[in-house]
Amino acid sequence: MTPLQILTAAKNGNPAPRIPVFCNLLDQGARELGLSPKDFFGNGEYVADAQLRMQKRYGYDNVWSLHYVGKEAELLGCQEILFADDGAPNVADFVIKNLDDIAKFEIPADITKHPAWQSIADCMTILNSELGATHPLCAYVTASTTLPAILMGMDKWMELFLLGPFDLRDELLRKCSDFFQQQIAGLRKLGAKVLIYSTPFGSPYFLSRKQIETTVMPWMQRDLRPGGTEDIVYYCGMAPFNDVIDLVLDELQIASHYISPLANLAEAKQRINSRGLTCGVIDDIKMIHWSEAQTRAEVKRIIEIGKTGGHFLFGTGVMPLAVPETNIRAMIDAAFEYGRLP
Amino acid sequence: MLEAYIQSYNEAVFETDKQAALDVVNRALADGLSPEDIVFKLVIPAVELMMAFIEKDPDANLAQHFMTAQIAADVTEKMLEKFSNPPEMIGRVIIGAAYGDLHSLGKRIVTGCLKSLMVDVVDLGTNVSAEKFVETAIAEDAQVIAVSAMMVHTATSDRGSLRVRSLLQEQGLEHKIKLAVGGAPYRFDPELYLAVGADAWAPDGVTAAKVIVDLIREVKP
Repeated sequence: MTPLQILTAAKNGNPAPRIPVFCNLLDQGARELGLSPKDFFGNGEYVADAQLRMQKRYGYDNVWSLHYVGKEAELLGCQEILFADDGAPNVADFVIKNLDDIAKFEIPADITKHPAWQSIADCMTILNSELGATHPLCAYVTASTTLPAILMGMDKWMELFLLGPFDLRDELLRKCSDFFQQQIAGLRKLGAKVLIYSTPFGSPYFLSRKQIETTVMPWMQRDLRPGGTEDIVYYCGMAPFNDVIDLVLDELQIASHYISPLANLAEAKQRINSRGLTCGVIDDIKMIHWSEAQTRAEVKRIIEIGKTGGHFLFGTGVMPLAVPETNIRAMIDAAFEYGRLP
Repeated sequence: MLEAYIQSYNEAVFETDKQAALDVVNRALADGLSPEDIVFKLVIPAVELMMAFIEKDPDANLAQHFMTAQIAADVTEKMLEKFSNPPEMIGRVIIGAAYGDLHSLGKRIVTGCLKSLMVDVVDLGTNVSAEKFVETAIAEDAQVIAVSAMMVHTATSDRGSLRVRSLLQEQGLEHKIKLAVGGAPYRFDPELYLAVGADAWAPDGVTAAKVIVDLIREVKP
């Protein structure tokens, strides 16, 4: 079976030789090609080349579209990204500097015509032609309720979200949701098969369940209405969300859930059961200091919790650049070994 | 009467309802409570209650942390203007986001809580060099440097907390100035604070205020 077929089997609970094994090596690409992060991320062909090389070396099931935190902000007018040689890029220029900017803030009529989209399109076109028929192509999309955090800063957004003015908040959310709908349509058109819906404000770690139900949920429904949710993975930026799994299944019909390493995986699996796909995620920040044996033991623990009954995927979290290559290898080998199905 | 105000104020904070909390404060003032009573009997106990609540139930959400700090800082600032005598401050902390880090939510929560607990806070903003942290701590006679880092590389960089530690060591200041760290990477690896040379860490902004107050008391009896 191809990795794409193995993923489909896991989602549907059909027989397969093993569970799907996903890995997100995003920041490692620049090192792979010996380039500076700025030069690397500025060129979609480089990103695709690095994704293909690393997938071939380690053998995991997926590849990633060009993404870094701030890419969406660039599509919306951000002029400066702080690139780092030792880690992930960071937004250095907020598009919305004060509340008056919200009225002036406009979503481009067609974001795929924006110069910053070209590198994404270049990357996806190459990945799709090389692996699109056999491997899941992953892309990252930020929910309308979270996107403002990279446009104005998390503390300013939290303040506006909780304290208002609420008409201004909702105006910004509507614009962000309009952007989201364009972005996800564009990525699907380029061949993305797995869309990681990053929605930290949909986690009870960020807000109360009541706030999620009354304020966040309608915007998530608006974001996702066109195109449906079959290819969507619910992800709260590594924050736990076990308490809203039922809500997400019922109200959004999202069946795939990327469980935080801080959450109780057994409980999540029990809640999701055969209704969808439980993704067990390793705490890869600890992998910076773990030995290979510790890494293998943790992979074994996660897979033993999740694989019984199928409907399970093994995945990674943020995969910091400082994780040693030997631990990446140990993790992937162990995932294939322990992830075999009878 | 005070009990009723305490209960109403706490409920408002837990429900993240700032206006309701401010209404309680205004009613209490109108009923004759002093600004000192508002801070020491209403605001500080509410922050401490939230600390205890988080300790018991770490799933208290970020909105509650944020609003606890926001409400406490706003009310304290307003009440301090009305104090008959300036209050005695517990100590002073230099806070900022690590070198290369532009996130500010965490330190804003910590700062709000610390101010309400009568700690002087010097906020250096984001993307702060280790040298700036240490220079300011010396100049301001601070007991604690608090470094926030939301990304793995800004937490572990040798230009961040590790450099602050080596500067304190080189200048023989380790007994006078303590180093606290916080931010998402530390939640995922609770041993990480040791690897970056910190004296203490906290899993969230409200608890961080308690950790920092404890460090101040270690240095300043």
